[in-house]
Amino acid sequence: MRKKTLAAAALLAAAAFTLSACGSGDGGDKPIAVVSAESGSDKAATVLDQPFEKPDLVLTDTHGKKYDLRAQTKGRPTLIYFGYTHCPDVCPLTMNNLAVAKKQVEQDKQLTPAQKESLRIVFVTTDPDRDTPSALGAWLKGIDPDVVGLTGDFATVQAGARTVGISIEPPKKEKDGKIVSFHGTQVIAFSPKTDAGYVVYGEDATVDDYTKDLPKIIKGENP
Amino acid sequence: MNHRPVHLAVLTAAGLVLAGCGTGSSASSEPELKVTGAYMPAPPTGDLAAGFFVVSNSGGADTLTSVTSRLAGDVTLHSTKDGVMEEEKSFTVPPDGRLDFETGGNHLMFEKLTHKPEQGEKVSVQLHFAKSGTVTVEMPVKSPTYTPETGH
Repeated sequence: MRKKTLAAAALLAAAAFTLSACGSGDGGDKPIAVVSAESGSDKAATVLDQPFEKPDLVLTDTHGKKYDLRAQTKGRPTLIYFGYTHCPDVCPLTMNNLAVAKKQVEQDKQLTPAQKESLRIVFVTTDPDRDTPSALGAWLKGIDPDVVGLTGDFATVQAGARTVGISIEPPKKEKDGKIVSFHGTQVIAFSPKTDAGYVVYGEDATVDDYTKDLPKIIKGENP
Repeated sequence: MNHRPVHLAVLTAAGLVLAGCGTGSSASSEPELKVTGAYMPAPPTGDLAAGFFVVSNSGGADTLTSVTSRLAGDVTLHSTKDGVMEEEKSFTVPPDGRLDFETGGNHLMFEKLTHKPEQGEKVSVQLHFAKSGTVTVEMPVKSPTYTPETGH
């Protein structure tokens, strides 16, 4: 469904280009706006036909303890995002969206306390050199201290991300000494029934999208 | 399901035609800037914060060359392409157009903060333009999940 609508948006974008031929030259911005308006008005969740296996990641949590993702989130609804704390825009927005949605779902009377408690939100850093357990802990404390923050070897994180279709590059140092890092653009939801990553959310997913979908994800149902 | 985007696209295209054919003469005139929609999402820590706004221009081209604020020892301008953040030296404000700083795209990055900005606070920010000089914006600190689309 989403594929089809994106193709339609591309066609419309092309049409906008053609029509703006007599325009002022800044028309290049507009078709992009059309495409993003399109994906924004579509459903936030993409249910995967071919779910991902949960990444086999054994990393370090914000308390400096070993955390085995598969073992410790087994049978639990789990949301995973790959990002870094030295990221002012999308990373805190994404994590706050999840944290606020989780708080709202805690009021949901249709769910049992055990169901609500089962949810795990996991933030895996893509910038482990700077995101030490304590740096990660301080940052997550400002968002939701219940979020599991994981750090470790970059190559391990990168390999784990790749298994769920997220491509990240190692942080690179610019000429002026500044470090540029990379974050994933998706949140992946894993089912408590199968432990598979079966739903993907893009960057434009809002608090309301997550609040609406989380009760279903907690039960392993399709949103 | 497809209805809304179709309308958007048609309106956008129509808007372009009108803008394109009607105002070609202002390219060499003075810029006329208006800054709207400024906000800073409350950051998780006092280490760094982002800022967003829209510059609308009803005159000739201008350039945003730097940004300063008492809140931060360092304010830098960034673009984001495919999830990759790049620092930029300046941003062009197109003639009869707009420059958007919006989440997922361009943003200001405030570092070396004097304190952690809290929701409800206002941060005074100076935008320095090559032609229009300095424009001061009182940037409200909004909730961490605020976006202009959702409004909360």
